[in-house]
Amino acid sequence: MTGRVIVVTSGKGGVGKTTASANLGVALAATGASVGLVDMDIGLRNLDILMGLENRVVYNLVDVIEDRCKLRQALVKDKRHPNLCLLPAAQTRDKNAVTSDQMRELCEEMKKIFDFVIVDSPAGIETGFQNAIAGADEAVIVTTPEMSAVRDADRIIGLLEARKDQIEQYRLVLNRYRPAMVQANDMMSIDDVLEILSVKLLGVVPEDEDIIISTNKGEPVSGTDNTRSGLAFRNIARRLRGEDVPLMDLEVKSNTWINRLVNFFAPVKA
Amino acid sequence: MSQIAIISQPDQGVLLDVSGCQSLREALEHLSSTLQVSSQFWQGLEVSINLGALSLAPDEVQKVMAIAKGVGITPIGVYTTDSFTKGSLQATNIPLGSGNPMTLPEVNIDPAMIHDAIPVDLPITTIESNVVSDAIIRNERSIRKTIANRRISITQGDGSQIVVTVDPEMAIKTENCTKSEVLPEEKIQAVEEEETPAPLPQTLYIRQTLRSGQCVSHQGHLVIIGDINPGAEVMADGDITVWGSLRGIAHAGIAGNTNAEIRAINLQPIQIRIADAIARSPDRKGVKYTSSAAPEMAKLVDGKVKVYKYKFN
Repeated sequence: MTGRVIVVTSGKGGVGKTTASANLGVALAATGASVGLVDMDIGLRNLDILMGLENRVVYNLVDVIEDRCKLRQALVKDKRHPNLCLLPAAQTRDKNAVTSDQMRELCEEMKKIFDFVIVDSPAGIETGFQNAIAGADEAVIVTTPEMSAVRDADRIIGLLEARKDQIEQYRLVLNRYRPAMVQANDMMSIDDVLEILSVKLLGVVPEDEDIIISTNKGEPVSGTDNTRSGLAFRNIARRLRGEDVPLMDLEVKSNTWINRLVNFFAPVKA
Repeated sequence: MSQIAIISQPDQGVLLDVSGCQSLREALEHLSSTLQVSSQFWQGLEVSINLGALSLAPDEVQKVMAIAKGVGITPIGVYTTDSFTKGSLQATNIPLGSGNPMTLPEVNIDPAMIHDAIPVDLPITTIESNVVSDAIIRNERSIRKTIANRRISITQGDGSQIVVTVDPEMAIKTENCTKSEVLPEEKIQAVEEEETPAPLPQTLYIRQTLRSGQCVSHQGHLVIIGDINPGAEVMADGDITVWGSLRGIAHAGIAGNTNAEIRAINLQPIQIRIADAIARSPDRKGVKYTSSAAPEMAKLVDGKVKVYKYKFN
């Protein structure tokens, strides 16, 4: 079995790389694929917290690379999805502990075990980022509709393009999208962002308070029903598996009480 | 190789390890926060510093030394793997560390053995304390040595005789006597194996809150006056006592001492490790940031970590 290694990256911090990684992992696992999540944010790890697996971490990526334990020992099995595993980052070690070659080797090894290997990259374009993309076959670029985030995403795409021989494709996830603000011309629209970046769109995730709740609970939204962001991530996972799923309905509904009541009872539509 | 680690061994003093830092600035920040918070603590200790692969010019080395001198430390040695830094140290007459720097102890735990920490609803007063029981065993042993292989006959008032045999292999045996106390076999063995009583392990006091990425290890008992935040790690050969909240990872008895205990005023660790046993805190249900009402103690019972609440009358 040879899986695909997908790196989730953004350049700018705080746009939702880790949230996207966790949710894509859960959503892909829910479709039946075996998924390995790799936290490459060495020194500032928190994918394990989002997944609610913090208390199960014993060994980490650096321990595997430095041969202090076997890969199998370091993988933390998710508590809800048996076919989802996390390889945590080291909390107390710095980014220089890993080299690109070692990372490439690790990705090769993970590919043998999992259908999908999702690598959560650190912010920035330095060593940590270079290591994260070292073993990747494709990339998911996460950005928000803000000038600064789009600018950084553009920089990242440039760096990824330089590695065309290795990274087959890169697609964009537009995160924290607020249709109401776009309608009022206060936020960049999907088209505005795509025009600048001229890159394939993988999905749009609306801004959602449920994300904050799920982060604190350690249960990614894509594992729970009735959240719009969760549905968006599930759609993205299906697109990653090659399905043709249309973009979800993001249009703004008038916010009268009767509409809210109807929305409350109606299931979330794709 | 953490951002900063304090590694302590009784015969080798204390090593401040900043080899995990990326830049001089980071190292300086970590050093000054660590040193200054607990400035009294450092006086009189043999402190060495590990700069790792940081490349420092002579004036930058002086900056590091200035922080140390500010709290009364003159490092007995500075370790570096960078040749430029080595030159800077020699140029400024700072002694290089001899041998290899101390490193954090190896963790050897089977992740498959992880279990939820078991809360025990028992007042702490009913639990025997290791300190006391060890002392009792030692005492027992010395008594047994002095009266080894003796038979004592006692004539009672009514004319009957009691024969008391003292066997060094076994506990005191009495005939015609209702009361007999036998020490548990494994405890006797533990005592027998221990030819000379082990010196009492030294205790390291740290007056500082440990934040994410910080790490303290000590061969002996460890007392932290402050909190241990999530992401921070403390390791000790002996007991770990936290006068504050324990929210990170604590590993007591790292060299295999299964009698080691972990106590904290607010015991909410991510994981507790004692010797080679590992327990996790139960999974969170909903978002809660409450603190426990009473101090608690974790110890190893039958290979599982149990957590006892202190109750005061």
